[in-house]
Amino acid sequence: MEDLHAKFLPQFVVLARKRLALALTAAIARDHSATSKVVRELHTLAGEAGLLGLHEVVPLARECEHKAKALHASHSDADADLLVGGLRQLEGVIERIGATAPKAGNS
Amino acid sequence: MAAVNRDRFIVRAELRVGNDSVISYGFDLTSSSVFVVTEWNAPVGTTVSLRLSFPRILDPIDVTARIADIRVAGEPGEPAGVGLVFDEASAGACLLDELERVESCGEASPSAERPYRVLLVDDSWLIRDMFAYGTAKFFERPGALAIDHAEDAEEAWAKLAKSTYDLVIVDYFLPSEDGASLIARLRGDARLARTPIVAISVGGRDAREATISAGADVFVDKPLVFRDLFNTLRVLAERRERARPVPERKAILVFDDSPFALALTRAALESAGFTVAIAADLSSFERQRVAFDPDLILVDVQMPEAFGDDVASTLRGWHGVEVPILLVSSLEQSELERRAQRAQASGYICKGAGMSELVRRCRELLEVAP
Repeated sequence: MEDLHAKFLPQFVVLARKRLALALTAAIARDHSATSKVVRELHTLAGEAGLLGLHEVVPLARECEHKAKALHASHSDADADLLVGGLRQLEGVIERIGATAPKAGNS
Repeated sequence: MAAVNRDRFIVRAELRVGNDSVISYGFDLTSSSVFVVTEWNAPVGTTVSLRLSFPRILDPIDVTARIADIRVAGEPGEPAGVGLVFDEASAGACLLDELERVESCGEASPSAERPYRVLLVDDSWLIRDMFAYGTAKFFERPGALAIDHAEDAEEAWAKLAKSTYDLVIVDYFLPSEDGASLIARLRGDARLARTPIVAISVGGRDAREATISAGADVFVDKPLVFRDLFNTLRVLAERRERARPVPERKAILVFDDSPFALALTRAALESAGFTVAIAADLSSFERQRVAFDPDLILVDVQMPEAFGDDVASTLRGWHGVEVPILLVSSLEQSELERRAQRAQASGYICKGAGMSELVRRCRELLEVAP
């Protein structure tokens, strides 16, 4: 399983960055039409992190997913700000993982 | 030296001149000469090192040869290449022995108890029809050759998981996953790694390099010269070893809308010894379920097209599926447990538990020892 982890981690980081960029762009721009897609992206991110055993990522991604759901219901600035804060925190963790992971394509 | 009548079976030809090397194919092999299909050429008289082989027909044999003539591409079936004449009498004698062995083995073999089984992976109905026609024309004994078809890599993989084939013919240009990728998967699978593979394509050099790099034994250009190909199949059918029993491997079908999750899950389960098919949408899932006949089904819960628990429930109630079904999700455990019970699934796995736990649960359900 360690081999698989090393092989798939760079790919995970690339995908996670894309998902987070999409979520942050939508949340900052208050693009409420994109919120349901953001919920799906964060849910998928949590699942992929879980399969890879990234226990630090899973609860943060799940928390962001819940915040995105709340924003989807309320459309409020307060919920949007909460989501942006959660996404920034998740982004920091992903970048820390990315800094230690081998480059994508080298595996 | 005498030529052998059973001419024009295809051989893998590896040419080396100085630092240049080319892997291609040849035919018209005699004990003193061969024609090699290649765009590479050098002046007539140039000396080359040559390795000729074909799995189950010709063990690798190294010879030194001279370019005797150069042919530019002509009519279909007359590809560009070089005619080579072998330099060494000893190599010629060795080849003669090999060719006589090829020639005589047909008579020595007991009559086939089962057909020589070929899987043709090509999405062109015309090519399939041509193989059917060639089978009738080139094989005198009805039932000596059986050709099965797959339209794409996933269908091929499903068939390979469930049946034993003596040879696989793979077109390079396939829908969704190309032939080189399928060949690499075949070579990476312990059970299938030694199956002879012939790649075919109109893609020329690029397709040849991609498929040979992936592990194809031989690449043959389209349009195919059926006389050569069926002569090769006939020799193979006559020489084949009796089929060895195939160790049973449990088959798992994984349904998830995340390509990343599918790739990771497949890699983990295959490395644990399972045969795995994947589906990213409902139509693919249904096709795979029928073709692959899995021993276990893993279904993600939250997907754009359907909820996994509804899929499981439908499989149980409507299709009468009895094999174990596991829901796999990053939902909260209590929610997942509730959904699994309602759908009559065999259980659930939280994605957060990681791949090791997923593999452990699959082994447990299928009663496979680690």
